[in-house]
Amino acid sequence: MRQRKLIPIGLFPCALTAVLVMLTGAQTAVAGYRSADGTLSATGFVDSATFVRKDEDLTKQRLQAQLEFGKLFRPRGIFSELSMHGTFRASYDAVYDINDDTYGSEAGGPVSYSAPGNPAFFAFINGGATPPPFTLADVPTSLGYAGTFGPLFANPAFDGAIPLPATGGTINSASNPNEGLRLAASDVYGYQDGGVILATPVRPCDVDSRGCRADYFDKTKSDLEYREFNDDWDFIRELYIDAAIPLFRGRNELALRVGRQQVVWGRTDLFRVLDVVNPMDFSRQNLYAEFEDSRIPMGMVNAEYRFGATNWFEDLNVQFLWKFEQFRPHDLGQGGEPYAILGAGNFFRAFANCWDNGCTVGNFPVADVAVEFPAQAIGIRNVNRPDHTEVGGRIEGVFKGVGFSLNALYFYSQFPSLRGGIESINPFLDPMTPNAPTVHPYSLAFDIEFPRLFMVGGSVDWYWEFAKSSFRVETSYTTDEEFADTSKASLYSDSDVFRWVIGFDRPTFIPFLNRTRAFLISGQIFGQHLLDHESYSVNSAGIPTMSQIGFQDWEDNYIVTLLIQGNYFNDRVTPQIITAYDTEAEAGVISPSVEWKPSNNWVVKFALNLKWADDTGAIAADDNRAANPYPPFTCAPPLLPPATVPPSAACFSPYSSLGAAGFEPLGRFRSGPIGAAHNEDEVQLTVRYQF
Amino acid sequence: MRRLLISTFAALGLAGGWTANAEVSEDVIKSSFFPYENWTPTAPGYEPGVVINADNIEQYKGIVDEFLYRYVKMGWYEIKTGPTFAMSLHPNYVEATRATADGVSLSPEGTLVNHLAGRPFPQEPDASDPEAGLKLIWNFQRGFNAGDSETILPFWWTFRNANTGKTERQLRFHWRFLNWKHRTVFDPKPDLDPNPGQIFRSVYATVLEPFDLGNTQLLIQRYEDDLRRDDGWLYLSFQRRVRRLAVGQITDAFLGSDAMIEDFEGYNGRISDFTWKYIGTRNMLTPYVKHTEQELAAEPANDADGFRFIEMGGQGNCFPMVTWQLRKVHAIEGTPKDKNHPLAKRVLYTDAETMTFPIVHVYDKKGDPWKWFPICKSHSDYHLAGNKGAGVAVDSCAVFFDEQAMHCTTLQFKSHINKEDNDPILFNVQNMRKTGR
Repeated sequence: MRQRKLIPIGLFPCALTAVLVMLTGAQTAVAGYRSADGTLSATGFVDSATFVRKDEDLTKQRLQAQLEFGKLFRPRGIFSELSMHGTFRASYDAVYDINDDTYGSEAGGPVSYSAPGNPAFFAFINGGATPPPFTLADVPTSLGYAGTFGPLFANPAFDGAIPLPATGGTINSASNPNEGLRLAASDVYGYQDGGVILATPVRPCDVDSRGCRADYFDKTKSDLEYREFNDDWDFIRELYIDAAIPLFRGRNELALRVGRQQVVWGRTDLFRVLDVVNPMDFSRQNLYAEFEDSRIPMGMVNAEYRFGATNWFEDLNVQFLWKFEQFRPHDLGQGGEPYAILGAGNFFRAFANCWDNGCTVGNFPVADVAVEFPAQAIGIRNVNRPDHTEVGGRIEGVFKGVGFSLNALYFYSQFPSLRGGIESINPFLDPMTPNAPTVHPYSLAFDIEFPRLFMVGGSVDWYWEFAKSSFRVETSYTTDEEFADTSKASLYSDSDVFRWVIGFDRPTFIPFLNRTRAFLISGQIFGQHLLDHESYSVNSAGIPTMSQIGFQDWEDNYIVTLLIQGNYFNDRVTPQIITAYDTEAEAGVISPSVEWKPSNNWVVKFALNLKWADDTGAIAADDNRAANPYPPFTCAPPLLPPATVPPSAACFSPYSSLGAAGFEPLGRFRSGPIGAAHNEDEVQLTVRYQF
Repeated sequence: MRRLLISTFAALGLAGGWTANAEVSEDVIKSSFFPYENWTPTAPGYEPGVVINADNIEQYKGIVDEFLYRYVKMGWYEIKTGPTFAMSLHPNYVEATRATADGVSLSPEGTLVNHLAGRPFPQEPDASDPEAGLKLIWNFQRGFNAGDSETILPFWWTFRNANTGKTERQLRFHWRFLNWKHRTVFDPKPDLDPNPGQIFRSVYATVLEPFDLGNTQLLIQRYEDDLRRDDGWLYLSFQRRVRRLAVGQITDAFLGSDAMIEDFEGYNGRISDFTWKYIGTRNMLTPYVKHTEQELAAEPANDADGFRFIEMGGQGNCFPMVTWQLRKVHAIEGTPKDKNHPLAKRVLYTDAETMTFPIVHVYDKKGDPWKWFPICKSHSDYHLAGNKGAGVAVDSCAVFFDEQAMHCTTLQFKSHINKEDNDPILFNVQNMRKTGR
């Protein structure tokens, strides 16, 4: 009932401003400030963005202000140009107050898992041979062990998840209460594939610190509401000095830009191939924010030696980059945020809480069974952010009318890598047994790392008269990117990755729609190939697997995009359709929008963001629950002998996954950013006053 | 051999003389560049100073272009008139013509052969010459429309509803024009070097306002080879990147204005894209003015040079409030070769003295009148102080008037003929990135 009131409340500021637009649209334009001598200028905007999602009502009610300034200084000494530029941004997103029971302090609640298989699983354990040193007497079936995030079964004897011995009692403790939780993949699907179920804390980290990790997913309510006012001083989006030193009597130039800035490589829309210098803030609006707004500016020295025209090239430029600001990864959105690409934030936070407090895992180790893990057995232990230098360079120019670039960047992955192989406890050891952390091969215990990468690539663009289109091609080759690999004891592998895109722009007249203004039709196809991709149908013990194990990301994937944009009434009304389709995930998005500019000062944009996906949109992937990291306790049932027969020898050594599969956690990467968000259809209204 | 010849001529040009060809006769030069030295155009019943309005337009129908005639007749505008005066081009351009034009000819494809600098075809157009129209359009394209180098800042494009006069939107630009070849005034002459792409001319525009388009940049490179398509790039500030333009599509409305890219300066396409026909010479009223003596607007306010734009008025504020003068013009009719081109034809009235376009008529696909483009030019000695002696008919104002949509885009210029603001290193893609924000 409460949420039903939210939509009109959230839309009110937009409605009000829309009325103001109509009342003031015809008035004289208010331009930005420009000093009489032209050396100081300031422009900016304030806007209101109201986004509503089908099942969650309000997802964004953001009021935002941005101020951009430029100051030209009188050139001195060796400099022919000296200037300073800055962009400051401040915003307040009221969704965390208005819709606080979905995204704010009251978000989430108690969760419970359906675990009808628990009795049978108990029976199986009780009826089977007991692998040493684990005895039936140790199997903790009493209520004293049955702490859980929720009642699972009506029979008190099986009330709760099956607590593994090292749980040592309830995990539903004062520090880990069954509240403020949400099933981590419930925004994607209903677990109908029997996939692993995790619960993630969803309240801001100052309200509920469970599963938060410093400097990565640790946003407080204030951080979420006032996104720019954080420890990184993101309210200073850009602030840099530009300087130019003429050389060789002005025929060449050394241009320097020093400070926090965006450096844009590449020629693509929506997805990035070469444009990887700045990390992205996907928590702003998943994929769909303008890159200019969602790039995270970084402190850099950007030196460009500009040859201009030479004897061979119409234009030639050499760029050197040094990123001196502390490394920042992509902001993927933390558990509980409205925009969390791939839902990765939910998984990370759920798993970090598992490490800190222990957790109940549903559909584990098989469907319809729930198990409690103790703390420090599975989960995400640490987030290790690198603090070394990132450097890059680019040669760019125009040769015989063809634009080209050659790029290289020595940097850190902006996506996290979950590296297993860390020390953790054995959850199957009795609490009274010494349980020193050690490395358990194939165990689900991780640190998040950001591996060092080296990328080389290039791009070209040209105009082709026959097709009346401009074309762009972009490629990159990155070494040692890390991917989840369930065939490896540490559950990750590195692979070189080749990415490419071919795109075209074609202005096309469609006379029956508009006889004076061409429509821009722009298409792209992206490809990604993992050169070291490995996939197996038998595990490390030679046992046939239920699904392919190994890399769970696609070996090859292709995404196509199409943009059609028209303009009416002298470009004051701009309808647009943008669509993208992920061929492996079989998921797509279409976003029709209309932008209206009643005057120089006002811009109103109404948009839909609609997604679709094959079946549930949740693509299964090997989830490693059928591995044997704690032999012989996690030996799979097919290997367990009848009670009268000695256990299989395979049970006494770790082995890799047998390929039990579900969406959580690695299916997220198969579903991709479109498929994993397929339930997030939105209506979006933005009203901006610019000056 | 041709390259050797051109190189030789270029070297001679750099040395300060244009003596490679037999000189064009003085009569031709005088007729082409100094038509008003001993002659003043007249028309029956016309006296400079008369105000032409709906009441007396029939009397002056013969000296008013056909589109303007209809507008005045409907009471949309009154034409103030003044005396004819010469707007002589820079002596260097004239001298280059005198020295080199005699060797210029047309190839079978209609491109120029042996053009070094100056006006390629200074001779009077001959109605019996099937290439007369082509020669006139080449005279414009290799003309001195913006000198060797021109900066326009500020440059306001105002979108107006011609029915109501309501200002809908205003784009504020900084434009630059740079000739890489055939330069006659600014060093180096005749060509900038290096120029491996053999660019003839660059146009570089930056949007300053409004905010949503702010810092959008357009760069167009036109090549010496007219058969080669232009190259173009657009820097989009909201993407922070340069986007290659599909330059074949120059008939699209530019940033929502009433102008296509093809319309810039009267005609901004490849000569070879149209069939050009000379349709006659006449005396016609043109918006060629002494800027400082015109009715000026209050804007731009606080201009450091005290410069003010030409005021706009008349129906929907779509007409330039200037004094028109009677001048000799050649009419050219251009018919697009591409059957999918949105125009049936464009008629370019070419000022005989400057080879610039005071009036352009555009007809839609059906052949109906569609758009009227008056382009005001000012004597450079009566404009910005820095333009004194430039010898260029300086851009002062223009209108793209869409009579079918009853909509117009008015252009108000502060043009400056100079080389200092147009360093060649600005006219490349990398500079767009460098200055992009």
